[in-house]
Amino acid sequence: MEMTEQFEKTARDIEERIRPQIEDAKKKVLDLNSQAVSYIKENPGKCLLGAIAAGYIIGRIARR
Amino acid sequence: MASSESGAPNGQRVESTSAGAGALTVGQRVDRASDTAQEAWSRTRDTVSDLKDRLDIEGRVERNPYGMMAAALGVGYVLGGGLFSPLTARLVGFGMRMGLRLAAIPFLENELRGLTESVMNGAGESDESSEGGERKSHRRGTNKGGKGL
Repeated sequence: MEMTEQFEKTARDIEERIRPQIEDAKKKVLDLNSQAVSYIKENPGKCLLGAIAAGYIIGRIARR
Repeated sequence: MASSESGAPNGQRVESTSAGAGALTVGQRVDRASDTAQEAWSRTRDTVSDLKDRLDIEGRVERNPYGMMAAALGVGYVLGGGLFSPLTARLVGFGMRMGLRLAAIPFLENELRGLTESVMNGAGESDESSEGGERKSHRRGTNKGGKGL
């Protein structure tokens, strides 16, 4: 019983320690996503041309 | 065709043809050429704007930015000649395998469920039949006992 309680306590501690970090990482990823989407929406031509260029380079590399 | 040129009073050179199709100054020719060029330019602009409206690239990017980026990447990949490459073959093979697995999982799940249910039903029926047999034998036993009495 003591062993189980100790194990539960350790798991709870780890969860409490990790949860804020996960929340922070989630927030950062969401911010990055919204920034990327807004940038693409503001500069559609530039982004499309860049994507085509990137695809072209990848295709050239893959052809070798 | 023979043609002769003569100086005009305003400094423009007049070019006349021997056929007599009408004398045109160089300025008039330039005007006509510029008109034609302007017309062609306006037509091209109209065509481009019409194409833009029809394709609605900005609207599409607004609605689905990541999808459009992926499509542009794919177009570039094809233009770069990566379509018939080992990497494409590997990617297509991986995609096919994943797709087949994902399609097969629900089918297998249903089959397994059906099999399990049939096995469980079969076991239940055999239990019931064995219980019934025991009851029958018990009854027979009692009957025998009754007859004996």
